[in-house]
Amino acid sequence: MDWNLVWKAVISLASFGLLLGALLAIASRRFYVEVDPRVEEVLDVLPKSNCGACGLPGCEAAAEAVVEGRAPVSVCKAGGPQVTAAVARIIGVEVETGIARVARIHCKGGIAVSPLRAYYQGVSSCRAADLTGGDKACPFGCLGLHDCADVCPVNAIVFDRQGLRRVIATRCTGCGLCIEACPRGLIELVPVNAKVISRCKSQYVGKKATGVCRVACIGCRKCEKACPRNAIRVENGYAMIDYDKCDGCLECAMVCPTDTIEIWVEMRGHPEGGEFVVPPRKKGGKESS
Amino acid sequence: MNEAWRYFLVFFGAALVSNILLIRFIGLCPFFGVSDSLETSLGMSISVIFVMTMASSVSWIAWNLVLEPLGVGEFLYIPAFILIIASLVQFVEMVIKKTSPPLYRAMGIYLPLITTNCAVFAAATESVKPGFFTKLNIAYHYGFLEAVVYSVGIAVGFSLVLIFFAAIRERLKDAPIPKFFRGVPIAFITAALFSLAFMGFAGMFNL
Repeated sequence: MDWNLVWKAVISLASFGLLLGALLAIASRRFYVEVDPRVEEVLDVLPKSNCGACGLPGCEAAAEAVVEGRAPVSVCKAGGPQVTAAVARIIGVEVETGIARVARIHCKGGIAVSPLRAYYQGVSSCRAADLTGGDKACPFGCLGLHDCADVCPVNAIVFDRQGLRRVIATRCTGCGLCIEACPRGLIELVPVNAKVISRCKSQYVGKKATGVCRVACIGCRKCEKACPRNAIRVENGYAMIDYDKCDGCLECAMVCPTDTIEIWVEMRGHPEGGEFVVPPRKKGGKESS
Repeated sequence: MNEAWRYFLVFFGAALVSNILLIRFIGLCPFFGVSDSLETSLGMSISVIFVMTMASSVSWIAWNLVLEPLGVGEFLYIPAFILIIASLVQFVEMVIKKTSPPLYRAMGIYLPLITTNCAVFAAATESVKPGFFTKLNIAYHYGFLEAVVYSVGIAVGFSLVLIFFAAIRERLKDAPIPKFFRGVPIAFITAALFSLAFMGFAGMFNL
C-alpha cells in the first residue's frame, strides 16, 4: 500500500476541513446577527401558517413587528384570543381578550331547495362562474365551487352535502381571507358563540325570493319586529344580525317563515362543535304554505 | 478558434446543448419540487446561479492547487467538493443574513436546500473534469475563467428550464386535464416532451 498517498489524502482533506471550519467559525462571530430572543418566543406561539391576514409577509415578520412595537400584540387575527394572550405574556402587556370570530357562509340554498337554471362547465372557480351569472336560479347564493376553500390556510372550508360550502368552526381561525375570495360576498365573520345566524343574502323580496330558493330571506321583517333588543335589521332585502346587541333569545328564528334564520346548537363531542338547526315554528302565527 | 468565441461555446454548450436538467437529468429534485409557482422558481434560480458559480470556482481552485498536484484528486474529489459546497453555502447564508436582510428573505429558504443539491456538485465536478457525467471524457482542461463561464452556463440553463417549466405548470393548473393526470403525472409528461425538444440542440455545437 502506498502510505504516502494515504497521508496526502488525510492531510489535504483534514486541512480543507480545518480551513473551512475556521472560516465558518470566524464568519459566525463576524456576521452574527443580534436577534431579540422574544422574536423566537413570539414566533413559537404564532400559528406559522403564514396566512398574511395581519398584512405582514409571514409569521416571522409579524413576530418581529410585535417585538419592535410596530404592531399590536393582537396582530395575529388567525390565532384568536389564545395567541393574543400568549403574545401579550411574552411582550409583558395586559390585554383584554375579545370573543373569537369564525367565518360563516350566508347561504343555505342547496340543490334541494334552489333549483339549477343551467349547467356550468367553465373554469372551476366561483369568480369565473359568477361572470356568467352562475348555474343557480338564485343570483345571490353560494356557487359551491372552491375559491374560499383554496385560500383557507387551515382547510376549514368543506363541501356540504347539498353542493354548498360550509365552514368548520372548530378549525376556522377567523383570518378573513375567504371573505375577499367570495365573489358574492356571502362570507362574514361571526362571533363563535353566536346563537342565531341569518343564512341568506338574497336581495330579492317576497315571491321573487322564494321563486328561486325555498329557504330564501323574503325580507318580511317579522324577525325585526320579534327581536326585543333591536339587534336584527332588514336591509337590501335580507336580515342582518348585530351580534353586539343579540342576546340569543331565538325569537327571530322562531318567527322566520322560510327558516332562513337558524339556531346554532352546541353539541359536545360533535366534530364541528355543533350544528345549525331549523327552529320549531311558533304556534299562532300565520303559517306560510 | 478565437477567445471570445470559445467562451460563447462553453457557455451555450453548458446552458442548452447539454442542459443539466433536460439532457443530463441532474438536479431533478428541485426541478419538480419548486416549479409549482413562478415566484419560488425565480428565487431558486437566482440562488442556484449564485451558489453554483461560487462553488465551481472554489472547487476549481482546490482541485488545481491542492488535489491534483498531490495526486489525490481522483478519489478525494467527492468528499472535498461536498465539504467546500456545504461550508460555502453556510458562509454565504451568514454573510447575506448580516449584510442584506431583504435578499436573505428572498433567497434564504433556498440556500440550505442547495447545500445538498446534486446539480451544484455536478457543476463543480464538471468544471474540473469536462464531460464527466456524460461519460464523454473530453480530453480538455478548463482554465479558471472557462470554468466560471461553464458553471454560470450550467446555472443559467438550470434557471431557464426551471422558470419555463414553472410557467407551464402554472398554466397546467387551469387546463382541463383528465383526472388521473392532474398534478405530478402531467408534469412528468410535460418534462419528457420538454426534454425531447431540448434534444434538438444536440450536436449543434461542441467543445
